[in-house]
Amino acid sequence: MDNTEEKAEMSSRVYEVGYLLLPTLTEESMPVVYSNLKDLVVGMGGEIISDEMPKMINLAYTMSKVIQNVHNKYDMAYFGWIKFVMDPEKVSELKKKLNLEENIIRFLILKTVRENTIASKRFVHKDLKRKLSPKRDDENGVSLPIDKEEIDKEIDAMVA
Amino acid sequence: MKQDYFSANNIKHIDYKDIEILKRFLNPSGKIVNHKRSGITMKNQRKLAVAIKNARFMGLLPFVAK
Repeated sequence: MDNTEEKAEMSSRVYEVGYLLLPTLTEESMPVVYSNLKDLVVGMGGEIISDEMPKMINLAYTMSKVIQNVHNKYDMAYFGWIKFVMDPEKVSELKKKLNLEENIIRFLILKTVRENTIASKRFVHKDLKRKLSPKRDDENGVSLPIDKEEIDKEIDAMVA
Repeated sequence: MKQDYFSANNIKHIDYKDIEILKRFLNPSGKIVNHKRSGITMKNQRKLAVAIKNARFMGLLPFVAK
């Protein structure tokens, strides 16, 4: 049993492809390109774990792409990503196909893990909890006496 | 004593898309903060460096900030 499981893990790996789409795409044509990309991954025998709809972002620096022998410069782009399981041998084929894709400025294929790796959302949650907890204390009246003492001290300081 | 940010927050995989976290480890000109200043372990510092470089390639973080 262990051997077969190991083999299954060996024959497919978890990858992630991040990509930047041309900002010239309209809002109607962008989802089409996005679903075409997903179909491409599925068509190559990939199994999609999670993905995010491309969003318009401001690029940190200007990028250029040659389209029909003309250098085009971009300061904005749609950034999206797809996480998927795929056979390692097929990933190089996927890379070749993505290279030919007209609507992609650039892309990045990474090895990753199945679990969600984005942690920032959790942190926002934690920070919110911290912010919320003192308010709750106020409602319960626990922290009120402390406030009174502080106010008294402040008044004393003012008088002195 | 500074603690390792990633082990303190139980982050096992440093993702290049987490720019809010990665920005903590950039100085004002966009360079990666060295491991003495960042206070994270060498193992995580190496992963962090790769994540920041990937984020730079995808235009999420600057190579050079003005």
